[in-house]
Amino acid sequence: MWKRVLKMFLGLYLPLLALTLYVFYTQKGKQLNALSEYQKRDAKIKKEYFFEHCNTLLKDTQYWAHLEYPVGFDPMGKDKAFMNRYIEVIKEITDYDQFRFIDLNGQEFYRAVRNNADSVTIGNLQNKENHQYVKQGLELHQDQLYLSQISLNRENGVIEKPNKPVIRAVAPIYDTTKTKIGLVVINFKMKRVLDQLKSKVADTELYLLDEEHRIISSSIHEEDLPYETGKKDNIFPRKLITNVQDITKDSTIFDEEHIWRFQPIVLNGTENTFGSTSKVPAEIIAPSNLYMVLEIPPRLIASYLEPLSDSLKTFSVISIAGLLTLCYVFQKKKTEKDQFYKELESKNVLLTRSRDKLEESNVMVNEMNNSLEIRNKQLSDFNYLISHNLRSPVTSMSVIVEMIQKEKNPEILKQLLPKLDDVAKSITHLTDDINDYVAILDNKEIKIVDLNLEALIEEVKHEFTETLLDNTGFEVRLNLKAWNHISYSRFYLQSIIHNFISNAIKYKKDEDTSYIEFESTIENQQKVLYVRDNGIGLDLDKHGDNIFKLYKRFHRNISGKGMGLFLVKSQLEALNATITIDSKVGVGTTFKLIF
Amino acid sequence: MHTKPNILLIDDDELYLYLMTKTIKQLSNELIISTFTDGEMAVEYIAKCTEEKVELPEVIFLDINMPFLDGWGFLNEFKKLKPKIMNNINIYMVSSSMRDSDIKRASNFEELTGYVVKPVNKVELAEIFKKIYHENW
Repeated sequence: MWKRVLKMFLGLYLPLLALTLYVFYTQKGKQLNALSEYQKRDAKIKKEYFFEHCNTLLKDTQYWAHLEYPVGFDPMGKDKAFMNRYIEVIKEITDYDQFRFIDLNGQEFYRAVRNNADSVTIGNLQNKENHQYVKQGLELHQDQLYLSQISLNRENGVIEKPNKPVIRAVAPIYDTTKTKIGLVVINFKMKRVLDQLKSKVADTELYLLDEEHRIISSSIHEEDLPYETGKKDNIFPRKLITNVQDITKDSTIFDEEHIWRFQPIVLNGTENTFGSTSKVPAEIIAPSNLYMVLEIPPRLIASYLEPLSDSLKTFSVISIAGLLTLCYVFQKKKTEKDQFYKELESKNVLLTRSRDKLEESNVMVNEMNNSLEIRNKQLSDFNYLISHNLRSPVTSMSVIVEMIQKEKNPEILKQLLPKLDDVAKSITHLTDDINDYVAILDNKEIKIVDLNLEALIEEVKHEFTETLLDNTGFEVRLNLKAWNHISYSRFYLQSIIHNFISNAIKYKKDEDTSYIEFESTIENQQKVLYVRDNGIGLDLDKHGDNIFKLYKRFHRNISGKGMGLFLVKSQLEALNATITIDSKVGVGTTFKLIF
Repeated sequence: MHTKPNILLIDDDELYLYLMTKTIKQLSNELIISTFTDGEMAVEYIAKCTEEKVELPEVIFLDINMPFLDGWGFLNEFKKLKPKIMNNINIYMVSSSMRDSDIKRASNFEELTGYVVKPVNKVELAEIFKKIYHENW
């Protein structure tokens, strides 16, 4: 039964599951797209913020680049007064970590280093000729700005502690004679900017990479620029970047439960007027462009999709429970019903069987009843025969005897005495006939054998050889195709056939070609024998009741004892066969024997 | 057919006929008796009588069991002839049978006056004649 429950359950649940999954995936797609949209917006805001900051510091740098410096500019010496005007500005701008002038040989000739929010230290000049930003800076034309990579600040080649991510903006400076006198180099502190970028609205991750996919800053690394301090996991998986079709454009990648937003930050080669239309735009030179990558991690997606999957899970659980219950109840009912039907069927079978038995015994009882009825009838006939036929001579005898006793006249006595003899004779005849009848009634000794009817008829025919040979025009016709063999008493059947042929000859019409025909058929699965003749026939309206009775004769001019058909009927009924007659005066007689 | 019989005896038992005749004669010498040994002959006689408008006997003693036409057959034929019969006829069924079925069957024939069981003795006969002839015999 559980198998069927499960089968039915699966049949019902699988389509539902498919539907559920379909809904889930379409909804998930929608949700992810929505999530991606949020991410896009977030990414855009961050990128713009970053750009804005870069612009700010480039604009600052440009400001310094556009100052006209005195010829033979010496901010530490003769031009100290010139420089002092700007010291306060440098102090005010807290993003400035270092502010330096470097001459054309890479030697610093002014250096202001921030100590804290409102104090800077001037001096402590260093030679920076071998530094990349210096080399690159010296190659700049007017209106070109160099923006270095973001890196950890180093003093004398050693990473300053605590880590201080900085970006260096470099621009050439000119004196009043338009002669290039060196570079202005400003180290901007990037920590605030980077922290701002990494600040989370949602639980998203952010990576800022250089072109070599090195992580400059990321929300999963505590320290910025982890590659500089030799930390592991400092390279962003290249695989993801290779999935980006066009690295010059913003794109979104759905990847194994992540949503990535990839945005290039192109600085190198861009021109910028910093909001002013009058100024000549500055070209920005940068060693490396940046990539900003935003990641929506699986846990966020999962938590975002949680209500959806929760509701679907709840729905599934409820539907599974509901369907299981339904299937169980249905199958249980069905099993009960099947059981009921089975029981009903077996009961039915039993009933049918007992009905068949009943029918059988009914048939038996019927048969028995029939034979008993026949037997009863025979006994009643016998009783009648005795009471009537034997009684009349006996009563006659008693009357005669009475008369003889009273009679004195010898003449009359002489007449009466022979009458007693008549009575005795008739009683003798009667007892002889009764003997024949009783022999039939008492059928215990009857031997039933298989008989060939045709052969038997031929045999009986020989007893009438004279009649049949003397050209009186009488013939015996046979039509025994339907059946020819029967189990019966040989003596009885012989006697029966004898009587029929004898009667047919006795009561044949003189003028016609007379015949007797035996025809066998099967009617209602019973063997039937028709015995037809074209004799003088009988008036059944007159004699119908008496045809088969003892001592009944119907034709005055033809000899007979009135025993023949009585014996035929007795011999048939003794073996459960029946006989009926149909006859028409002047046409003939048909007997129907049903065995 | 010159003298009209008073009594008709119909029975195939000739001894019975002889004894019946004898018994009736002992009762009265004035009664004329005719006998038939079967129903058929009796019916033919009665038919002939009605045709010739001859009066029929007052009493018929009818046996049941007879060849050619039995007592019942006779009664059926008699029924057919009855419209042509002028005088009243008393038919007595006489039988050695005491079977209920025969007695019951006899009671269905309104043509029958009575049912008598053989042997018929003198006393019974006298009773019957008394009823029919009202002491006039």
